[in-house]
Amino acid sequence: MKVIKVDSEKCTGCHQCELWCGSEIASVGKELPQAINEAPQPVPRVYVEGKKFAIQCRHCDDAPCLKACPNGTMRKDPETGLIYVHEPTCIACWMCVMVCPFGIINPSPIIKVAIKCDRCRNMGYPICAEICPTQAISIEERKDYRKKKFTT
Amino acid sequence: MEFIQKKSTDTAVEHFLVKAADQEIPLAWDRYEGQLPVCGFCEAGLSCRDCLQGPCISHPFRDASKQGICGKDKNTLAVQSLLRLVIKGTMSSLDLVGDLANDIETGDTKPVDKAAADKALKEVAAIFANKETASMKELPAALSKTWKDAGIYPEGILRDLFKASQKLEGGVSGIEETLLWTYKTALLGSMAQQLQKKLKKAVFGEIAPTKLELGLGILPQDIPTILLYGQISAALKQKIAEVAKKSKVKVFGVCTDPLLPPFVFAPATNYGSQEIPLMTGAVDLIVAGDQFVNPSLMQVAKDWKVTVVPAAGLDKEKDLNAFARKIVDLAKKSFDNRADIPKDVPADTQTAIMGFSSETLDAAKIVKGLAEGKIKGVVVFSGSSNVKFSQDNEYVEMAKVFLQNDILCLSEGEASVALAKHGFLNPKMEGVECGKNLAGFLKSLGKNVPAVVDCNATEFVLALAKAGKKAPKDYPVFACFPEANRSIEVVKAMGMVAMGVTTYFWPSLPVTGSPETMKALSDISAAKFGASLQVVTKKLSAPEKAKLFLNEIEAPPSMSGKAW
Repeated sequence: MKVIKVDSEKCTGCHQCELWCGSEIASVGKELPQAINEAPQPVPRVYVEGKKFAIQCRHCDDAPCLKACPNGTMRKDPETGLIYVHEPTCIACWMCVMVCPFGIINPSPIIKVAIKCDRCRNMGYPICAEICPTQAISIEERKDYRKKKFTT
Repeated sequence: MEFIQKKSTDTAVEHFLVKAADQEIPLAWDRYEGQLPVCGFCEAGLSCRDCLQGPCISHPFRDASKQGICGKDKNTLAVQSLLRLVIKGTMSSLDLVGDLANDIETGDTKPVDKAAADKALKEVAAIFANKETASMKELPAALSKTWKDAGIYPEGILRDLFKASQKLEGGVSGIEETLLWTYKTALLGSMAQQLQKKLKKAVFGEIAPTKLELGLGILPQDIPTILLYGQISAALKQKIAEVAKKSKVKVFGVCTDPLLPPFVFAPATNYGSQEIPLMTGAVDLIVAGDQFVNPSLMQVAKDWKVTVVPAAGLDKEKDLNAFARKIVDLAKKSFDNRADIPKDVPADTQTAIMGFSSETLDAAKIVKGLAEGKIKGVVVFSGSSNVKFSQDNEYVEMAKVFLQNDILCLSEGEASVALAKHGFLNPKMEGVECGKNLAGFLKSLGKNVPAVVDCNATEFVLALAKAGKKAPKDYPVFACFPEANRSIEVVKAMGMVAMGVTTYFWPSLPVTGSPETMKALSDISAAKFGASLQVVTKKLSAPEKAKLFLNEIEAPPSMSGKAW
């Protein structure tokens, strides 16, 4: 399964991933000038935190949000393994928000759905990885770390 | 910014784009693509580098980082992004007039009309001494009153430039106050531009409509050739032309004033394709000014062994005659050294009439034409070119729509060159379709009046207002900057609005991060000046942009609020 890898040494904290996610994914207008003027304010799915690190949904193998969701709104795509929010059925209980260990699910009180990254599953390539000016964000195959051998 | 598939609508330029790609020579278009995607904060005017505590941003999509470290919010950041551009543009305008004034005062150039030159020099001195100039006193009284009431009447560089620039250093000015300071600075720039024209007329004489050939095809292959790039001292240009004529060296221009009587510096191309003439192999030497000149010319010149002479360095050449002779000698040496460089000069040339003015374009006839419905309105094209658009496409496609709808089109500067390359300034009007009424009207304006008339916009608007005894805002006159680029063009646009001419500007100014600033540019400007600066963020094709004008021109008074 492909995952997003963020290289913290390359991340400059420029926030472009947030800006483009906000305008091309989260907004209605899909263009930055229109997105800036929208209400409610578009909510990007990626967060640039602390000492320059972009954090998105990890699409966990054993996703706590999947288990916590009471009515199957949080779903896993069987083909890609990506976790996504089926917005029409979200009841805004915010259980997923509370259980996410990474804090990347955003409760939107205005539109009453849980908002999180779905790795642009309906697009060819995640927008954050595409526009990152330093290529700090990239897509890689997930390595199975449990199989890594340690020598003593 | 978005990827632009078709780089240029100029077929001569397209030929060299293929060549540049084959030879891996990077041009402006390649560097543009390398810049994509750009910083959205800077594009929207939501960033600031005015102090060393930053750089700061205002994040449009997060509740945190809404203000810079000093407290500037998105509105302040956006309106100051505009002010910063206008300050630079006004300094460009002042530099041009200062250069010419200096040329006269040092005796480097002898004015044709010394009395007029002395009068204009006093006005230049007045601007720098913060006194009212004679030209300002000649402005229509209603316009002066509008500006005084708004608090933006030009007062000279201390207030209009230096004090305005301090708004960037801090303070508590809101959107409206900062916007008015921006207009004040822009008006100083506009006045400087008008003074420069006055001085030029005094020095070189009246400029008559002049027929010239332009385009890449004008470059000769068998004679030493000099290209003048950008804004260069008029006296130096004149001397280069004098020496070159005696030495059988040809001189052309790119992004430089083409008409300095008795000399013509025919444009080889316009701003966006300024690197291309060097690729023809036919250019032996370029004299490079500062404004409008790409630093990339140095590398392209090196690839084609073209000599580059900076027009104004720190070690300024005091003797302009000697400098001109040196330049021409260098051009001849370069021609001899470059005999082995293959020439590839396309046959593309176009005939154009340039150099109309308020003296040669009958404003009274235009007022009458508007009143009688022979023409529906007037659009003035200005600006240069911008890689964000297919080169010249916006000018050409918008002009086509206007001309077909009986709108009189004027153009100035680089806009004229863009349109001229595509035949719009050719009096024969081959391939240019005008509405029936407009075609007849153009004939009535005089012999050899082309479909698009090259004339200074500010001068025309003031002449129209004087002829019709109405304020500019009471005419269906609009300004259009469809492929704008440099800060001096922002100054022109804001000067137009302050005169009462609604102006459309593309690409979007860096104010889109603040809906309040965009609204102020529309609403406050309309309230103070009867005109607005339109920032259109919606993606529109060129004909759709032209339709915006048509909708305004044709809207009934109840909708437009205008009496025309």
